Amino acid sequence: MKHALLSVVFGLFLTSTAALATDDMPTFLLVMKDGRLFPETLEVPANTKFRLEVRNEGPGATEFESLELRKETVLAPGVTRKLVFAPMKPGSYKFFDEFHPETAQGRIVAK
Amino acid sequence: MGNAFFVVWRESLEAFLIAGILYAWLQANDASGRGKRALYAGLAAGVGLALLLGWALLTVQDELTGTALDSFQTATLLVAAGLITQMVLWMKQHGRQMKAKLQADLAAAAERSGFVGVAVVAALAVAREGAETVIFLYGLAQGGDLSALAVGSLAGLAGAAATAWLAAKSLARLNIGLLLRLSSILLLVLASSLLVAAMDRLIGADWLPALLDPVWDSSALLDDGTTAGKLIASLSGYRARPALTTLLVWAGYWLLVVGAYRRAGRG
Repeated sequence: MKHALLSVVFGLFLTSTAALATDDMPTFLLVMKDGRLFPETLEVPANTKFRLEVRNEGPGATEFESLELRKETVLAPGVTRKLVFAPMKPGSYKFFDEFHPETAQGRIVAK
Repeated sequence: MGNAFFVVWRESLEAFLIAGILYAWLQANDASGRGKRALYAGLAAGVGLALLLGWALLTVQDELTGTALDSFQTATLLVAAGLITQMVLWMKQHGRQMKAKLQADLAAAAERSGFVGVAVVAALAVAREGAETVIFLYGLAQGGDLSALAVGSLAGLAGAAATAWLAAKSLARLNIGLLLRLSSILLLVLASSLLVAAMDRLIGADWLPALLDPVWDSSALLDDGTTAGKLIASLSGYRARPALTTLLVWAGYWLLVVGAYRRAGRG
């Protein structure tokens, strides 16, 4: 019992420090809507860990996908997911919506 | 409709190809038919799992469950890669034993457990790819126009099944020795590509360091960002910009497997 309580407290401590550690991360927003991306080009700082909030405003499901960036996330309509990216070298990185490949092609530019 | 056809075809092709190659491989290994029954049972279970996983992914609204499902998908990749490798190596050795008429009882027991592996691999392949198809179709169904959707997705499924059937049939025309060798190699290549996909997910989620990223950039030769390139990448494990971690794991896998394959052949 005592151990259980301790581990709960410890768990809370861990999650709260994790939350603190991630809070100063720059955050960017990507909206997926009608098979399109807004914006199509995201500018992010190079060599910095950052967070990308991907929101699917529908209609229909989307899949944020990039082999180059090693991300693959399916989003049901109305869902927002937060993706954390490791620091990137300066350059241009392609991504797309695998469920709307004709219209939804985007890139992340790290500067 | 064209879009539904194409997405369903591509999403289900990998699962169908795994099933097709497993079928061809069983053709060369197993005369009893039990292996094929295990394969069909696995495929059916996979459809059920895909619906379940698709539903779970659809209802996910919070980050924690999302991360849990991501980890689950990574785990299925690793389990499938391990099982395929173990099955192929085991059968390589077991085939020898059968020829020498040694340890028949042991072989029968091992055969049963081997076929559980076939069923699990088929189920995981269908579940992983099928779940995304489920979500895609659900999204389309919300947008209306159900008849075009049904035609497109059924045609996509049939197209993928036909592609895999063609692959399995052309494999099965080969003589048995060649069929066994070729289907074993294809299964190992598939296993290595699942392993690479798992590594990518682990590095992408920041659970593993990339070490050096990328080691090279061969996208001018074969770009894994194009549709065809991506298909090749997902079946072979090719990456235009591999991370050093992925490369090391891939090389380590082949070193171990080639060594074990040779030993199994001699044993």
